[in-house]
Amino acid sequence: MEVKILSAKFDIEDGHKLEIAKQHGAYATIDKLFSMKPEEVIEEVRNSGLRGRGGAGFPAGVKWGFLPKGTGKPVYLAVNSDESEPATFKDRYILVKDPHMMIEGIIICSYAIGSHDTYIYIRGEYTSQVKALQAAIDEAYEAGYLGDKVAGHDFKLEVTVHRGAGAYVCGEETGLLESIEGKKGQPRAKPPFPAVAGLYGCPTIINNVQSIASLPFILEKGAEAYKVYGTEKSSGTHLFGISGHVEKPGMYELPLGLPLLEVVEKVAGGVWKGRKLKGVIPGGSSTPVLTPEEAKTVTLDYESMAEHKTMFGSGGIVVLDETVDMVKLVENLIYFYHHESCGQCTPCREGLGWMLKIIKKVVRGEGEISDIDLLSELCDNIEMKTVCVLSAACTMPVRSYLTKFRHEFDAYVSEGASTAEANQE
Amino acid sequence: MAEMIKLFVNGNEVEVEAGKNLIDAIGAVGIEIPHLCYHPALGADGNCRMCLVGLEEGGPPLVPACKTPAAEGMKVLLDADHIKKIQHDVLEFQLINHPVDCPVCDQAGECSLQDYYMTYDGQKSRMTVPQVTKSKKMDFGCGVVHDQERCVLCGRCVRFCRQITRTGELGIVNRTDTARVAIFPGRPLDNRYAVNVVDLCPVGAMTSADFRFKQRVWFMKKERGVCHGCSRGCNITIDHNREKDQDDLIYRFRPLFNEQVNGYFICDEGRLSYRDENENRLTEARLSKTTISLDRAVTASLKEFKRAEGIVILISPDCSLEQMVSIKSLAEELGAPLSGFSDGYIKKGDGDDYLIQDDKAANRAGLTALNIDSSQSAFEEALAKAGLLINFNNDLSLFYDESSLKKLFKEKRVIGVTSRDTKLFQMANLVIPVASFTEYSGSIINCDNILQTFNRAITKNDAPLDMSEVAALLGGPLKTNGDRYDKLKKIVVSLNDFNPDTIPATGLKLT
Amino acid sequence: MSDRSQLISTGEPFKFDQERDTEFERLIKRYPERESMILPALWLTQEQEGWISAEAIAYIADRIGTFASKVFECATFYTMYHLHPMGKYHICVCRTLSCWLRDKQAIVDYLRDEIGIEPGQKSEDGKFSLEEVECLGHCGTAPVVQINGEFHEEMDVEKLTALLAELN
Repeated sequence: MEVKILSAKFDIEDGHKLEIAKQHGAYATIDKLFSMKPEEVIEEVRNSGLRGRGGAGFPAGVKWGFLPKGTGKPVYLAVNSDESEPATFKDRYILVKDPHMMIEGIIICSYAIGSHDTYIYIRGEYTSQVKALQAAIDEAYEAGYLGDKVAGHDFKLEVTVHRGAGAYVCGEETGLLESIEGKKGQPRAKPPFPAVAGLYGCPTIINNVQSIASLPFILEKGAEAYKVYGTEKSSGTHLFGISGHVEKPGMYELPLGLPLLEVVEKVAGGVWKGRKLKGVIPGGSSTPVLTPEEAKTVTLDYESMAEHKTMFGSGGIVVLDETVDMVKLVENLIYFYHHESCGQCTPCREGLGWMLKIIKKVVRGEGEISDIDLLSELCDNIEMKTVCVLSAACTMPVRSYLTKFRHEFDAYVSEGASTAEANQE
Repeated sequence: MAEMIKLFVNGNEVEVEAGKNLIDAIGAVGIEIPHLCYHPALGADGNCRMCLVGLEEGGPPLVPACKTPAAEGMKVLLDADHIKKIQHDVLEFQLINHPVDCPVCDQAGECSLQDYYMTYDGQKSRMTVPQVTKSKKMDFGCGVVHDQERCVLCGRCVRFCRQITRTGELGIVNRTDTARVAIFPGRPLDNRYAVNVVDLCPVGAMTSADFRFKQRVWFMKKERGVCHGCSRGCNITIDHNREKDQDDLIYRFRPLFNEQVNGYFICDEGRLSYRDENENRLTEARLSKTTISLDRAVTASLKEFKRAEGIVILISPDCSLEQMVSIKSLAEELGAPLSGFSDGYIKKGDGDDYLIQDDKAANRAGLTALNIDSSQSAFEEALAKAGLLINFNNDLSLFYDESSLKKLFKEKRVIGVTSRDTKLFQMANLVIPVASFTEYSGSIINCDNILQTFNRAITKNDAPLDMSEVAALLGGPLKTNGDRYDKLKKIVVSLNDFNPDTIPATGLKLT
Repeated sequence: MSDRSQLISTGEPFKFDQERDTEFERLIKRYPERESMILPALWLTQEQEGWISAEAIAYIADRIGTFASKVFECATFYTMYHLHPMGKYHICVCRTLSCWLRDKQAIVDYLRDEIGIEPGQKSEDGKFSLEEVECLGHCGTAPVVQINGEFHEEMDVEKLTALLAELN
């Protein structure tokens, strides 16, 4: 089931080094790129159907088209390498194993959108990864792929790595921009959208690492070759991260559109320890959970996920076996999102803390049925009332557990904590 | 005239000013959209989420009114159930970690959170888990005391210090519900407008050390006034109260919005100048240190006039135009030279590029308009030739030190007509108390040539006379305000249309 | 999140060493606005000192030419900045979803017993500090532990025992 487009060079020894990467085709598209007009590049990417691989799934070529023309201001490219959504761990493979593919993608994107300054925002936790990335950038400068004349062409491009320092919310594109500007990563209200007023108030495109890294293939082989993979509306491949209770967790490149359970079974070795499946989180911790029944019919693409009232997200699949205590899982989730709430908007700032205290009370066995109802109501009261979607990233999944596994929550109330726990054994 | 547009609020067509956000545009026609973080001087931040309103047809269904420009044909929903629910929900979130200790909170009675609770919430608390605790009674400097637990994190204070004073002392540290307003240790508030954060704070998180717990706000009466601390003439609200068996006292000055004079703010010095209205006041006339009645003081003055070999009259640059013209006429009547010498009022370099002026005189432009000479030489020459100085509240001690004053007054008789019982006036032979600027009505011209009027705000138990009335008692020909206005118009061309009733509250820019 | 706003003062003035000074000057040229240096400067400080003191925050603010309150905001907002000294070995255990599912608690419990400190504490000899952190992005090799920035994947008690022996 696996395909190797983005991950083609991942297994090559020292494939992250420029010399080796070049032997395997890195920067091969540069001359072709500069023979094209920027509009033609945008058109090719639009035709490929490439969708933002950060989680929102917005078509990349369309996003680029939002840039206003002739503002007289510089255009910035910000590469989102914050990868902060729990269960997401794909981009770092690119950063470490094939950074030149991403740098090549940055050149392609910059040329297409007329940008000469890229900031790569990498999460602070990625300590060794940032070193690997910086080393690759240094190599690219040395070899003339970055700097005043990209590969000898009359095109200047500066790439700067900006390190985060522990804030999930900086994965939100405007939180990311704030962070580069030296502020707290508190998302901005939109409009204005970053394409119009982004970094330093200038037109800015923000793309995920994987989206950027997909560009060399699209440019080299063409949009049609990319669309061979995936479904009609969800084209291409994706680096899926499979974690949780499977025999072979890990990162796998797969075309979009495969049946979820088949992937879990055949690619990730199935539910571990011969246990039964209890649920699947399809695209990172913020996506609503699927029951085994729902999981049967879902395929790994944007449309099928939406039909199943969940989201493709970042492609971080988490498998839950029969022993998982959904009440405690929800506690773990709320803890995370509360911890990461930027503190800007009232409902998220105050509400998530309230939800955390309530779920803890339930877990302690001190909860009442009204507490569970209140949790559910708070999800509604918080969701979409805020500047960014962090609050929804918490309330959407929490609501799904409360709905689909309500009996487990009720058991904590009616039977007390220890009995409820015993039921999980 | 601003461009007007038509839009719909709850289905009703309203005409509002274009170019404003929904809060201001709709607010101007009397429809309130609740909000905590938005302030017109500080712009829209959009963090409190109180102002979320619905939009029908087109656009996102829910928008923050503070960040949404009013547009032609827009259909704004305020009274729909789902909008009311949002207002209720957001308030609930604001209140879950709030102490809700209104009875002991200094803000009670002028608190947005309290008011909104009554209007939009009114429910019992559902908070059955422990609240977040934070620090209380923190000294932020400049007389600002902060209570982190009462704070709603609207960030107005932070934005004020970054955008208005550009001193940036405040920040919101941490994140999630442990976020709090803080100063960086060792770098407290240090700007001359700091106490404005107390007014800006929509709740009781920022309090003034000077005012807190002195008075319940609902006991105080509020009057409009014009600050006399410098030549800016900032508009103020005078909060005062007469407690049982006490005199009418001012408890604070607060800024009053006037776009063309001071905007939304005042300086801290001006704010605290209310104290001079309460303290060190001259309340009774004195002749050679003996208290006498006003009648006797007037009689004694007239005797002094007769006895004197040459009189010179000195006038304060803080006087109102009405007082100036009265005193000018008195001087003409007495054949006495009149001086407005007040160089001491000018503190060179003290002003800034915002509100504070070098010139601490409230109405120097009035002296100029009435052709009253203010030069040091003319004053000193006139005084040298005269035997009697009548000083109408001019604080000469701002210019001359004590020994110079003694030299200046040597072998002179001095009559002081003053509101202040200061060392300077204690040197006078005869003093007559007069009203201070919160106790009379009048007009002044500020540093930008804007004419402003103000009315009497305070009536003391033994209300001293307006200086104009004293001038009349001393033989001045202008007995009524009508007389004074007529005379003013004759002298000052730009005041031809002067009629205190028709001057807008925001002032009249003179040409 | 606990309150991070109680800064520690060393009583000594702070400044960058030669290496960080050079790096600061190199980096500042990469941004059109000086305030963009707030995060990088905090990182440089942490690299140099292991943690960030009140004096360092003031230094950064003055060096960049911005308000100390802004640097203070960032230092307290971003949880990877250490605002007090850590142990010689700073151990971070991921507590989020995938690591939680694969029993990160056993890792925490083991460390707690072995080192004798709770998450958020430092051992008396200053050798270890322990912290439970949010998702470290190594969910496919959970549970994961990060020691002084170095990742240790697919951890279990056995591996941890060996690792601690190495550090001791």
